[in-house]
Amino acid sequence: MTLQSILQVLVSGLQVGCIYALMALSFYVIQSATGILNFAQGEWAMISAVLGVVFLPFVPYPIAIAAAIAGATGLAILSERLFIRRLESRNAPLVTVILSLLGIMIVARYGTALLFGQEEYPLPGPARSEIIEFGGELYLLPQTLVIYATTVAVFAAVELHMRRTKLGRSLRVAAIDPIGAQLIGVDLNRVRAFAFGLGGVIAAVAGWLYAPLYAAGYMIGVVPGVKGFIVMVIGGMASPLGSLVGGITLGLIEVAAARYLSSLYSEALAFVVLMGVLFVRPEGLIAAGTRS
Amino acid sequence: MRWTVGALLLALFPVFVREPYYITLCVNLAVTLILTLSLNFVVGTSGQWSFAHAAFFGMGAYVPGVLASRFGLDGWLGLPLSVVSTSVLATVVGLPIVRLRGYYLAVCTLALGFLAEIIVRQAVDLTGGGYGIQQIPPLFIAGYRLQGGSYYLLALAALLISSLLLDNIKGSTLGHAIVATRDNPIAAGSCGINVGRVKLTAFVITAGLAALAGWVHTFYYLALNPSLLASDLTFLWYFMVFIGGLGSVPGVVIGTALLSIAPEFLGMATHNQVLAFGLLMLGVALFAPRGIGGAVTGLLQTGRFLAAERSTK
Repeated sequence: MTLQSILQVLVSGLQVGCIYALMALSFYVIQSATGILNFAQGEWAMISAVLGVVFLPFVPYPIAIAAAIAGATGLAILSERLFIRRLESRNAPLVTVILSLLGIMIVARYGTALLFGQEEYPLPGPARSEIIEFGGELYLLPQTLVIYATTVAVFAAVELHMRRTKLGRSLRVAAIDPIGAQLIGVDLNRVRAFAFGLGGVIAAVAGWLYAPLYAAGYMIGVVPGVKGFIVMVIGGMASPLGSLVGGITLGLIEVAAARYLSSLYSEALAFVVLMGVLFVRPEGLIAAGTRS
Repeated sequence: MRWTVGALLLALFPVFVREPYYITLCVNLAVTLILTLSLNFVVGTSGQWSFAHAAFFGMGAYVPGVLASRFGLDGWLGLPLSVVSTSVLATVVGLPIVRLRGYYLAVCTLALGFLAEIIVRQAVDLTGGGYGIQQIPPLFIAGYRLQGGSYYLLALAALLISSLLLDNIKGSTLGHAIVATRDNPIAAGSCGINVGRVKLTAFVITAGLAALAGWVHTFYYLALNPSLLASDLTFLWYFMVFIGGLGSVPGVVIGTALLSIAPEFLGMATHNQVLAFGLLMLGVALFAPRGIGGAVTGLLQTGRFLAAERSTK
């Protein structure tokens, strides 16, 4: 366990943790404003990567990114408009809403498989792909730095937006008391549509960060999706900070376990951590009381 | 009485139909019915979101399968081991979970479901990983090998025992406690019901039934592979339950039968089958929110109401 290997674990653990944190944030913005756990978040990440592969041969890179993220976000908003809004407006029971969310997830995943095939394609990242070397000890992919920077930027933007803009504030009000929010003139339909859109954008961005490290294909949304909601629960529903702390904690634990113990069961670790946190601290790592 | 007649009719099936394809179809249907009826119980009657049904099914299939193929354990001894070990897992997982409500239960069991498949795929030494296990020794009764029609009778017996068990629980004190806990946990607690224990009991019983279904599945196919634990299976069973009508046993039976037999005749690939179920699910959620069972009951009620209206005029 040399200093070099510890640094390397920190670098990759942070990288994995950032992806988890972004996915958790995308669940969080929807869950906190509407009380809905949208299972399909991982699929928006996947669709943005797959659309990227489709667009890249035809347009320059920045336009392909923008178009792919916009496409995935559009589908997220469409799913809210077509299904969730109708179900909520007639006060459908929770069971109907949850199964519809599952339905949306399944249709997004296997619809992509039907339309784009079941192969996996490489997706180039926005940065160069040569490895950066630090004093012959530590190796970094430029994509890693892109992931760090984007994660910080997205969290800062969401936090600022929630505190400063009218729409962001109405999101927080709707989270605390939906009926009271309506009384003071907050349009819950608008809040819900916005929350689904914002969650969609964040997931789509996470997909663009994640896919260059692996590949783009119809199944790549599954793991980020599952880890995302596990992290949201681990971190707690009190603030976006919970998602960040939870994501980085899980990322570091997983990478360290894979490196020093065994890569065999590192996937199962997420579940063990989840059960442990729920047992000891059901409100999550960052609870409501700790928020200033 | 109804039960006996129904059971006898179903038991006579292999006398008339000897085509192996139809026998396989019926064994599959029996296994799926055990799964959807128990899912209907834990979700509909007990009001708990369990998404780990495929994990429990898979564990119930893998424990006796691995023991029989690697350690030569008799398949019949595998049955109690399968049900007990799965129930123990469900208890361990359930203990912290039953204190939680709504989405939390869904999240934990979903996570368990996803990770169970990954673990089975990675523990190659024990489970054969992605290739699974083949050539599991079959079941014998007094030297007679159970297969085809005789295996169908075993699957049918498992189905009948499961549905009788669920039916009896529903009518028992425990069943009333389960429903009371679902409808109003605080009121149920104030009546002296141990809310946590009642929820855990319902959760563990259905996990045990899923394991029974897994055991039946293993010794029919005599092979195992990790897709048995795929969460997509859990979603399919949910769709069957919901499209049939959550909480209505005839609805669930019809939903299960329709959705497991129709794709066979349409010859759909698994992916497209899941896709079609997802679309059907969304359609039902929008247009028939109580499922086919609920829609039929609703139509019947409207019909009766209209008939009564007419006769009073």
